[in-house]
Amino acid sequence: MINFFWASLFFFLAGALFYKKSKASYLLAFLGSVSALVVGIYALNSSEQLFRMSLTPNVSITLGLDHLSALFIIIASIAWIALSFYSVDYSVFYPKSNLSLGFNLALLGMMLVLSARDGFSLLIGWEIMTIFAFIMMVISGLHYEKAYRFLAFGELSTACLLIGFALLYQSTNSITFDALSRGGSVVLIFLSLGFIIKMDIVPFHGWMRGIYGEMPDNAAAILSGPVTLMGVYGLERIIPVMPINDTWNLVIIVLGALSAFWGGLQAVAVNKVRLLPAYSTIENNGMILTAIGFYALAQSITNPDLHYLALFAQATSIIIALSHTFSKTLLFMSLGHAKEAYDVHTIDEARGVWSGVGKIPALGIVVSALSFSAFPPLIGYVGEWMILETLFQSYKFPNVSTEFIAALTGVLTALAIGLIGFAMIKLIGYTALGYDHGRKSRVISNRFMNSSETGMLLLILLCGVALPAVIILLGFPQLLTSLLDVPAPFVLASNQPIFGVITPTLIFIVLIVLMIVPFILFISKRTKVRKVTSWNGGLPLEEEEYFTARAYSQILEHILRNVYHTKEVRTKSRSTIEVEDIMLRPMNWLTRMVEKIGEGEALVLMNGRISAYVAYILLLFIIAFLIGMAVM
Amino acid sequence: MLKWWPLFGIRRHLTEKKAYTSPIRLQSLYGKLFQRSLFIYILDVGSSNALNFEISALESPQYNIHRFGIYFTDSPRHADVLLILGRPTELMLAPMNETLNQMPEPYYVITIDDSMDDLPMSPYPEMRHHVAQLKGIPSPSELLGLLLELPKNKRIAS
Amino acid sequence: MRLLAGVIEIDGKEKLLIIEDGVARLEPVESQAQREEFGCYQLLKKRELHLRRGSVSGPGVFRFRYGPVTAGVREAGCFNLYTFGEKILHAGIDVSWKHRGIEEAMSNKTPQRALALAEAVCSNFAFSHSVAYVRAVENALHSNVDMGVQNWRNILLEAERIYNHLHVITKLASAAAQKVLTSHLSSLFEEALRLNEILTGSRYLMGINQVGGFHHLPSLENMQHAINGYSLIAKRFEQLYVHSVNNANYMDRLHAAGTITADQAIAMGLGGPSLRACGVKDDLNTTISHLIQLPVITQNEGDALARMEVRAEEIMNSCEYIIDHLKISDAWNFNTDEATKSIRENGEGCGIANSPSGAVAYYVVLQDGIIAHARIFTPSYVGMHAAAFSLDEYIFTDFPFIFDSFGVHFSDAAR
Repeated sequence: MINFFWASLFFFLAGALFYKKSKASYLLAFLGSVSALVVGIYALNSSEQLFRMSLTPNVSITLGLDHLSALFIIIASIAWIALSFYSVDYSVFYPKSNLSLGFNLALLGMMLVLSARDGFSLLIGWEIMTIFAFIMMVISGLHYEKAYRFLAFGELSTACLLIGFALLYQSTNSITFDALSRGGSVVLIFLSLGFIIKMDIVPFHGWMRGIYGEMPDNAAAILSGPVTLMGVYGLERIIPVMPINDTWNLVIIVLGALSAFWGGLQAVAVNKVRLLPAYSTIENNGMILTAIGFYALAQSITNPDLHYLALFAQATSIIIALSHTFSKTLLFMSLGHAKEAYDVHTIDEARGVWSGVGKIPALGIVVSALSFSAFPPLIGYVGEWMILETLFQSYKFPNVSTEFIAALTGVLTALAIGLIGFAMIKLIGYTALGYDHGRKSRVISNRFMNSSETGMLLLILLCGVALPAVIILLGFPQLLTSLLDVPAPFVLASNQPIFGVITPTLIFIVLIVLMIVPFILFISKRTKVRKVTSWNGGLPLEEEEYFTARAYSQILEHILRNVYHTKEVRTKSRSTIEVEDIMLRPMNWLTRMVEKIGEGEALVLMNGRISAYVAYILLLFIIAFLIGMAVM
Repeated sequence: MLKWWPLFGIRRHLTEKKAYTSPIRLQSLYGKLFQRSLFIYILDVGSSNALNFEISALESPQYNIHRFGIYFTDSPRHADVLLILGRPTELMLAPMNETLNQMPEPYYVITIDDSMDDLPMSPYPEMRHHVAQLKGIPSPSELLGLLLELPKNKRIAS
Repeated sequence: MRLLAGVIEIDGKEKLLIIEDGVARLEPVESQAQREEFGCYQLLKKRELHLRRGSVSGPGVFRFRYGPVTAGVREAGCFNLYTFGEKILHAGIDVSWKHRGIEEAMSNKTPQRALALAEAVCSNFAFSHSVAYVRAVENALHSNVDMGVQNWRNILLEAERIYNHLHVITKLASAAAQKVLTSHLSSLFEEALRLNEILTGSRYLMGINQVGGFHHLPSLENMQHAINGYSLIAKRFEQLYVHSVNNANYMDRLHAAGTITADQAIAMGLGGPSLRACGVKDDLNTTISHLIQLPVITQNEGDALARMEVRAEEIMNSCEYIIDHLKISDAWNFNTDEATKSIRENGEGCGIANSPSGAVAYYVVLQDGIIAHARIFTPSYVGMHAAAFSLDEYIFTDFPFIFDSFGVHFSDAAR
């Protein structure tokens, strides 16, 4: 196993070195990802320490793997495999970008994060990941202000982690993960804040809007899936071992639900379809955060009934993380494919992918969007239904305020799932399966892209249909049982005695069987079928008569106009609807403040006058003199 | 004291008891179709509006067409009979042909020509299953008699 | 008050057809001031078949084309509604689908033959069209019509008004899903049509009017039947109307839908109950002398509810009018020989009639007893323009209420 680990790191470094030759570079990344997957599979059942280097008597860099790391390595590396394979074709469209440098090194950073066994190596990996993601943005031509926003939030997360680990060292004299169990509540809060910020939780989601849709889609997919997965991994690492703080657990439950709800709400009203995947990330990560919070809460209460619930909640968080990573990767791959085939700047201008570009990218968009909308038997359905099952059992908590908060969380989560389903219709109905408005796509080499998309598509379906295998692989075989005539292990129960069950396997079988009879009837009847255009009052539809995606969501934008601050800007012959994400106001205010203060400071202090600078030199001289005097 | 709407006029019997006769004979019908219900789509291609009012009158309780299973549909795709009112103006020829295209088999076409010879209206195109051509403005009783003939006749030579 | 009914341009010479104090008058256009006096001058001069052309653009804005084959508005006509999802930003109506060229067809026809064409413009306004037309011809020939004929024309105009207003209110009730109300109103509508047949032999009062006289008059028995019928309609309608006004759901759908102010209505040349619903007391009722004056019903709001209320009251007043006049109609004498006298003269004339939706105006030029030119100005043309104007800034669910409350028809607007 050690060999494969070092091999993957080696491949990533080699890929970064050969960044000039993008195809080779991405193939090396692919090899690195495959090695990482092998490492993960090996490490599922055996923990091992891989590397240790002491820096000071109390601080050392330790790399090792255990079951949890292995899980997340498997999830992340599958996404990396798909994306690096996909990028072999995709990089053709960005020849001058040299994206593969940032790509490979970001992957390297993530590998370090996942194999870290102490705070120092975690921080090293964390920073490598953040900085090279930032470099990817800058290289791909993104405006510097938007890239700085991402960097600001990334560094905020690093700062929180730094403070957390520093406090841990202060109290326990060690920053290995074993020392976490001796840390206090403040350490817990800072560390989890650092991970939460990385997960794009509201209100730390402000940097997304300028980024998505303006970056190449393989980089955007990395930012959306695996990078936020690191935040999830961090939380999963620290929450089980750190001392329990019930208030904080409730805080993160509510924060997660709010984030999920806000993500769904804004996904409905986005002006540009390209921002939809961004808000979907926020929504899914919110649900993961809620699941983790529930897991911690259920573990802390000494009632033995709730231990099953804690296990179920933990499984929920991992399944949602898995489904989100896979579906988001597939969504970005298919959207990027369609965008480049149509040769348009943004996905908003690409419509009718099924007829205009090809069946595979269209199917990719449809399946990933359906997975986000909780459509059985896909894996997204499993994750979202599991979180709902967890929340349904909120009445089991002994505390009334806990029950109330959990119920509120359930309301928000259910609303979020409904809203995101509404929003995903825009992708399915307009972008993927809609009318293509006569647009023609250019011929591009798409073997790698198609294979990545097909593989991911099949994986999403398979993970849903073969859920028992996935659950056993993840290490939760206790959750599988049997019910009525469905044998074990096909039933995933949310509590024992059975409270609620999830059986995508059975749903899949029933769907297939139910489809057989009508199919046979249809084939045997041999009725004449005539194809006609859609009925539109007797005349064919002209270009400007087609229903638009924005008109579809305008009804909700109008009903919830107080939440969206919907405004109509109207002249005699032009009308525009504007909506606003009001959670971005603090960030925008902060940006404006910084700009104003910076400008003010620049104007006042750095005013270009020689006399001022001479005065500063004199001032510094006097201060140094005084300090010297005081020391002596 | 105002009566509750569902009870309003509940004892009034507005449906007339009358035998309806068709003004013309129908040609080349299928056999045994539309025995239990008949769905009609109205297409106005250039009438002088009296026919539209007669259709509105046909929906009144005196005729009570629902007791015969006759309904008006909102889409040609759900219709058994296409009832064309008036002779088509030139602009309406294309929509009329598209409507005919959208009718699912089997279906009948009935045309009512209320135009005057002085007007430059287009003649009817060749239509399949054109079972009745009426002239003038038939009263709702005559129209109902015609519609009631549709399911009864077997295939007869025109 | 002065209202512009039509603009006639033949051989480069322009004339305005103006209704002043209920009398139609032709005024030759000599100055620009005359053109600027009326807001609807351009509209009536050009008489384009695409009303309110224009578009709105924007992200997500698209044109919702409703028509020309629809099930809701059964006639052949097209609505171009620009919208970004829920609200109608700009409405335009395309009436060209029903243009049959009746004005052109009237040229080189005898007045009697052209009368049949006039009735074919819009058969539910057949009698108003025929009255306006024969008044124009009689005006052109300077012939006098005796009082009996005039009175009978008044009676039948009110009969036409009754069944058309019943139809409008039935459509409004049906759009508001008031099923019981719709069924009862529909039965009253069918009764009104049957009474038409009893009075004239035709359900739409067609073929009864002639230049200078009438084809035939109903027998005393039929008149008694009609009196009973109309008093029953009045009684039943009043019951239904009082009941429906207390239904908050129904009133709510109509209230504040498609509001127009009086100034806007006059500037668009709107007439009839839609104008009266804005509070303007027009004098179309004084187009003809009455034995008993019909009151002019007005409301103030100018919305769909006001238009419905004006029509409801007019139904009840017209029923009363018909009953009172039928009772004394045997005292009128006629000179029916006039009807069959052949006409051989030249002249130009105009005539108007108070149709259920406003004033119908005809202009004819006779040469050697044959129609040389004819111009028809229908109330539905300006009514459609006003309906399209009032649809702006309302949402789609208000569409049937706003459009149906004007009582306009595509065949009438397109001629």
